[in-house]
Amino acid sequence: MKEERLLSAILVTAMIAVGCSSNGGVGEEDAGNDEISIGSEESEVELSFWAFGTNYDSLIEEYTEENPNVTISIQQVDMEDHHTSLFTSLSAGAGAPDIAAIERSEIDSYKRAEDKFMNLYDLGASDLESDYLDWAWEIGSSVDGDFLLGVPADIEPTAMYYRADVFEQAGLPSEPEEVEEMIQTWEDYRQIAATILDKTGKKMVDNSEPVFKAKRDQASEHYFNETNELLIESSPYMKQVYDETARWIEAGYIDNSEMGSREWRNAIQEGDYATLLGPVWMSETIKGYAPDDTNWRVVSMPEGAGNWGGSWFTIPKETDHPEEAYEFLTWLVAAKQQMKSFEERGTFPSTPDVYDDPDFTLPTDDHFGGGNVAELFAEAALEVEYVYKGSLYEDVNEEILIGLDNVYDGANPEEEWPEIINRVERRVFR
Amino acid sequence: MARLQRDAGKSNDHNTMSNKEPQEPKKRSFSQRQRNMASGYMFISPFYLLFAVFGVFPILYSFYLAFFRWDGLGDMEYVGFNNFNIIFNDPLFWKSLYNTIVIGLMGTAPQLIVALLLAFALNSVLIKYKSVFRLAIFLPYVTSIVAVAIVFSVIFSNQESGLVNAFLGMFGVEPITWTRAEWGTKVAIATMIFWRWVGYNTIIYLAGMQAIPSDLYEAAKIDGASLRQQIWHITIPMLKPFIIFTVFTSTIGALQIFAEPHIFQGRAGRPEGMSIVLYLYRDAFGSNFFGTASATAIVLFFIIIVFSTMNLYFANRIGRSKKVGVK
Repeated sequence: MKEERLLSAILVTAMIAVGCSSNGGVGEEDAGNDEISIGSEESEVELSFWAFGTNYDSLIEEYTEENPNVTISIQQVDMEDHHTSLFTSLSAGAGAPDIAAIERSEIDSYKRAEDKFMNLYDLGASDLESDYLDWAWEIGSSVDGDFLLGVPADIEPTAMYYRADVFEQAGLPSEPEEVEEMIQTWEDYRQIAATILDKTGKKMVDNSEPVFKAKRDQASEHYFNETNELLIESSPYMKQVYDETARWIEAGYIDNSEMGSREWRNAIQEGDYATLLGPVWMSETIKGYAPDDTNWRVVSMPEGAGNWGGSWFTIPKETDHPEEAYEFLTWLVAAKQQMKSFEERGTFPSTPDVYDDPDFTLPTDDHFGGGNVAELFAEAALEVEYVYKGSLYEDVNEEILIGLDNVYDGANPEEEWPEIINRVERRVFR
Repeated sequence: MARLQRDAGKSNDHNTMSNKEPQEPKKRSFSQRQRNMASGYMFISPFYLLFAVFGVFPILYSFYLAFFRWDGLGDMEYVGFNNFNIIFNDPLFWKSLYNTIVIGLMGTAPQLIVALLLAFALNSVLIKYKSVFRLAIFLPYVTSIVAVAIVFSVIFSNQESGLVNAFLGMFGVEPITWTRAEWGTKVAIATMIFWRWVGYNTIIYLAGMQAIPSDLYEAAKIDGASLRQQIWHITIPMLKPFIIFTVFTSTIGALQIFAEPHIFQGRAGRPEGMSIVLYLYRDAFGSNFFGTASATAIVLFFIIIVFSTMNLYFANRIGRSKKVGVK
C-alpha cells in the first residue's frame, strides 16, 4: 500500500514535470491546435483560414455576424507547424485552406509555386495597393510585379530599446530625446558602447544576431539578387556589416545570449544590456519578462529601421470560393480591422492611414517612459525599404550567424568569412 | 483460431480446388480455408494498410526522389546520381556521419554496460522497494524528448553559472561552451541519450534475468563462484538474446539521433552536433532540397544495415568464451 502511494506520487510528479516543460516559447500565444468554426450553422459558404501567432477570433466573429452566409473555420497553430502543414498540403495538392497566412521569412519560397495560389490582382487587389506600405505590398508580389501572392497583414518594424538606468550609470544622458540625438549613426552607437563598457562593465547588446540584422537591413542588397544569384561574395555590403559586427564582438560590446533563453530573460530583468535592437513586439516581450521594471525606453534605430517579419494573407488555388475568400481576406487586412488588431493584440498595422489615428498616437505606455511608443514605430515603418530576400535567405543567414558565434568563441574573423562563404555555397547550390 | 485454420487447411490440402463434394452443401463461393485466410488478413489489414500508406510508400518514394531535384512545390527534374555526388562532396555530410558514430558510441556503449549492471542490481534479492526503483529507472524513457533536451540545455548551459560549468569550475576547469565546443556538444548529447535510454535497456535486461532459473546461480554458489564469475558465466550467456536485441535497437537508434542535437543546438544546428538525420532534415525541411535529402536517407539506410550486421556479429560472439560449460 505504502509502496503504491509512493509510486503514484512519483508518477504525478513526473507528469507535472513533463507537462510544465511544454510551454517554453517566448511571446507565443497559446492558440489551441483545434480548428474552431465561427459563424451561423445555416451559412452557405464555409471558409477555412489558417493563421499563426495571432488570434483573430473576435474579428472573425464580427465578420460572420455581418455576413451570415459565411462561416469561417480557423486553425491557429505555432508558426513552424503552420508552415509545415501549409507546405505539405500545397505540395500534395490537397487539404490547403481557403485563406492562409504566410510569414515574411517563408513567403519567397512560396513564390516559386505561383500556380498553387490565386493571383490576387485577378480578384481586384490592385485597388487596394495604395492603402498599404509600398515595401510591404512589394513583399507580397512576384519579382516582375504581375502576380500578387499575398496582402500584408501585420509587419514588424524595428527600433532601439535601451536602459535609462544603465545610460545614467555611465554618466550619459538618458532621456529619449537626448539619446535619439546622441546615437544617430552606428559610429555613435559604437562610441556609447565603449563608454558603457568602460564605465559600467556592461555589454551594449545581447547578441550579434540583432546587430547584424539591424545593419544588414539598411543595405540595398542582401544575400541574393532578383535572379537568385548569391551576392554575399561579390556585394560589398554584407562583408562590411559582418566585419563591423565581428569587430564589436572582439571589442566586447556584444554578449552571446540567445533571445528567449533563460540567461537572456534574466539579463532583461537585471538590465545587463544597455540596448536591444528589436522589432515592435519586443516591447511586449520586455514587459512580459520585466513587468515591474520601468527603465526601458525606445528610440529610433541608428541609421534607419528595418522589418523583422510579419504575415501576408494568401488564397491557395484549391479554394472553391475565391470571391468569398477574397472578400473576407481584404476585410480582415483593411485599415480598420488592422487598427483593432493593433489595439487588441499589438500586431503592427501595414496600413499607414491608421498611423494618424488618435487611438494610435495618443495612448501612452508607462513602461517606456510614459510616451507614445506606436508613433515611433510608425515612423520606422515608413522608413523601411523593400529588399529582395529569396527562398534560401534563412540558410545563408544561419551560416553567417554560425560564423559570428565562432568569432565570439575566438575564431579569426578574416579566416571565418571564407569559411562562411564555403558553407553557404555548399548549402544552397544543390 | 490458429488451430482451426490449420485443421481447415489439412482437410482441404488433398483436393484443393476440386473440392466441390456435398461436404459443404450450402452455396459458397469460397472454401472454408479461403474464408479463414481472408478473415485472417482482414484482422491484420489495418496495420498493413496504414503501414503501406505511411511506411512503404514514403520509403519507396524517397528512393525515387533521390534521383531528382525537387523543391517540394515545383517540377521534378531527373539528375541521375548527382544528388549522391553532392552529398559525398559535402564535408558537412562526412562530419555529420562522424558525429553520429562518435555520439552513438559515447551514448550507447556505456549505456548498455550500465544497464546490465543496474538490471543485475535490481534483480538481486538485496534491494527493497524494487518496483519503485524499476519505475524510477524507467521514467526517463517515457519523458518527452523535448523536455529532456530542454532540461539538459539548462544543465549544460554555456554560462559560467550553468550547473556543469559551475561544478567543473570547482576543479578549476574553464567554462565550456557546451552548445558549440567540438567535444562539449558531443558529451552533452551523449549524456542525454544515455540518461533517456538506460532505463529502457535495464528493464529489458531485467526481464531477461528474471527468466534465468535461480538453480543455476545456486549451483554456482555451491561451487564457490564469485559474483563476478556469476555475472560473466551465467547472466551474460543466458542474456544473449536480450543483449543482441538491445545492441541491435541501440545501433539503429544511435544512427538516427535527431531530437537531442536539434533542440540542444537550436535553430538549424551547428557542425559540432550535426547528425545525419539532422543534416537531411535541414536539407529537406529547411532548404527544401528533397532530392539530396532523400539521397542522404538512402545512404543512411545502407550505413544502418552495415553497422547492424557488424554489431549483430559481435554481439553473437558474447559468451562464447571457451570457459563456458567447462566446469
